[in-house]
Amino acid sequence: MLYLQLFIDGVVSGCAIGLVSVSFSYFYATTGTFHVAHAGIYTFSAYFAWWLVGVGVPFFGALALAVALGGVAGYLTQRLLYERLARNTASPLVMMIASIGLLTVLQNVVAILFTPNIVQFDLTWRLSHLSLGGISLSYPQALILVSSLVIVTALILFSRHSALGKRIRAVTSNPDLAEITRLAPKQVFAIVLAISSAIVAVPGVLIGVDQALQPYTSLLVLLTAVIAMIAGGIGSLRGAFCMSILLAVVQSMSVAFMPGRWSVAAVFGIFIVFILFRPEGLFRSRFSRAF
Amino acid sequence: MRKFIVTAFSALLAFSASAIAQPKEVLLGALLPLTGPAAPIGIEEQQGVQFAIDQINARGGINGVPVKILFDDSQGKPDQAVLAFNRMIDLNGVPALLTAFSSISLAIAPLATRREVLVVNPAAQTDKLENASPFLVNTIPLVRQEASVLAKYAIEHVGKKAAIIYENAAAGIDGSTDFRKYFQEAGGEIIAEEPVEFGQTNYRSTLLKIAAAKPDFVYIAITQSHEAMADQVGQIPDFPTGIGNTFSRPFFGHASTEGWYQTAIQSGYPDEATVAAFKKQFNAEDMGFFAREYFNSTNIILKAAKKVIADGGDITGPALRDAVLAIRTFESPVADVTFESNTASRPVEILQYKGKERVIVETARSAD
Repeated sequence: MLYLQLFIDGVVSGCAIGLVSVSFSYFYATTGTFHVAHAGIYTFSAYFAWWLVGVGVPFFGALALAVALGGVAGYLTQRLLYERLARNTASPLVMMIASIGLLTVLQNVVAILFTPNIVQFDLTWRLSHLSLGGISLSYPQALILVSSLVIVTALILFSRHSALGKRIRAVTSNPDLAEITRLAPKQVFAIVLAISSAIVAVPGVLIGVDQALQPYTSLLVLLTAVIAMIAGGIGSLRGAFCMSILLAVVQSMSVAFMPGRWSVAAVFGIFIVFILFRPEGLFRSRFSRAF
Repeated sequence: MRKFIVTAFSALLAFSASAIAQPKEVLLGALLPLTGPAAPIGIEEQQGVQFAIDQINARGGINGVPVKILFDDSQGKPDQAVLAFNRMIDLNGVPALLTAFSSISLAIAPLATRREVLVVNPAAQTDKLENASPFLVNTIPLVRQEASVLAKYAIEHVGKKAAIIYENAAAGIDGSTDFRKYFQEAGGEIIAEEPVEFGQTNYRSTLLKIAAAKPDFVYIAITQSHEAMADQVGQIPDFPTGIGNTFSRPFFGHASTEGWYQTAIQSGYPDEATVAAFKKQFNAEDMGFFAREYFNSTNIILKAAKKVIADGGDITGPALRDAVLAIRTFESPVADVTFESNTASRPVEILQYKGKERVIVETARSAD
């Protein structure tokens, strides 16, 4: 039963990281910008929802507003920061450094506007849990599981079948051609970052409900998500999500076989070995920027 | 008449001399984690220090000498703390400062010795602080003193098979090492042990593994995210009783931690008016443990400064340290602090969580 519970906990953690990974991957594959500030939007949206709940907004309303805030923050980040840097022919390294700067700003704004404290949502239901044959799943864990599956499926369907999704894929495949054919890649980049940022608000809020909110630790979540994206195959949403779950399950279950201090090292070790043997990742035959 | 003139002249001379010796202001420093994961604690500590300074200045300073406090941000990191320490000493000539966290106190201890600056530690508890520097004064007993009291109580009243969860940082490592030592010396057995990281909020796998070992109780030495751990404990049926030290206080008040134990350094509240003034000044719900301890420790430095000024000395690190050790006993509603060495001796309480109260089940001093 211990192993099963560890497995389930790993799957849930993996689903949350998977949403971070998928949303990061969606933007990175489209623009090639290493958007470190994604971690900042994750935190900012979560604290915003916490604040809203604190002032009496019902939880799902707060979640919706946090998602909207994430979307707006992402759109503005592309328009006001990345687009201007790109206009000045900034290198990817400069873009990444600017993104790190934005992350630091966001983390400090969270601490100033809301609180630097580790905080928890004041929601009575978050301590309730389901017991299924000896397996325990808290309500927030169940919510993470369901919402992540729905969002990832919806994003894949959106990407493949909607007009906008197809336009995004076209821009991703060839931005120069997209410019000539009036697909307006700059506008597409902003829309993609808005979508990615709206998505990342969901695990930010739900992990906060399940555990606690921390202003300064989202970078570690992003690091795991990026590793999952690389191991899953850059540009593959399905790969990023599946690999997030796999890595989280390995990390969770490794605790049963070795001291907990080795679990992170075990995950990263597996990643190194995996990438040595399959550098293109789990779901891609070669590196490219497409879904 | 002649006698009067001589007396008046002597008094004038004495007054002039004291006026010359009296400094324009007393400058103190506080090196606290004001940003980063430890900021919640650092800001509470800052409030305690600021409150003590504001209070003394509202009363006219130390014999009329105003007190100024300089804060600098260690970010909870030893390297940043060393930079901030050097800034304080090189640019401002601070003779004494308050610090926070074991790793930071240890990092600046050699600098304190070299620069002869009094460093007062009101909260860090790693055992290494005992001999880190002759200029380091600990106003709180160290981990091993709490651990020895707790281990003795645990084996007599809780059980002989223990597991340990500890934070992989100085305080957590010391806590687990000391508890293991005293518990095993008393005949106890450690059957499982797991580290967690500072600031972690997901403890599920660690808790599951520990529960599966079926110990009589779990000694938990973490300094952050207790609430998240308590929530996750509630999800595991029949999780064993937890015990911990002073930093375990946030475990109190959760349904999942009913019956748990913690040690506590006796730390009382100032009078009601003072607490009310603190709450009003900082818009705080409570004057928390760290605020009280930093308030009290700042007052200890201020009392030492008062003695130095009264003795006509200069406010220097060595003078302040000598004054602290000469005064030796500092009594206040927060704590009666006695310095037999550079580390304070204070009673240790063992508290058990029973409903809405933390009941004192034993009070003892470490025999070590």
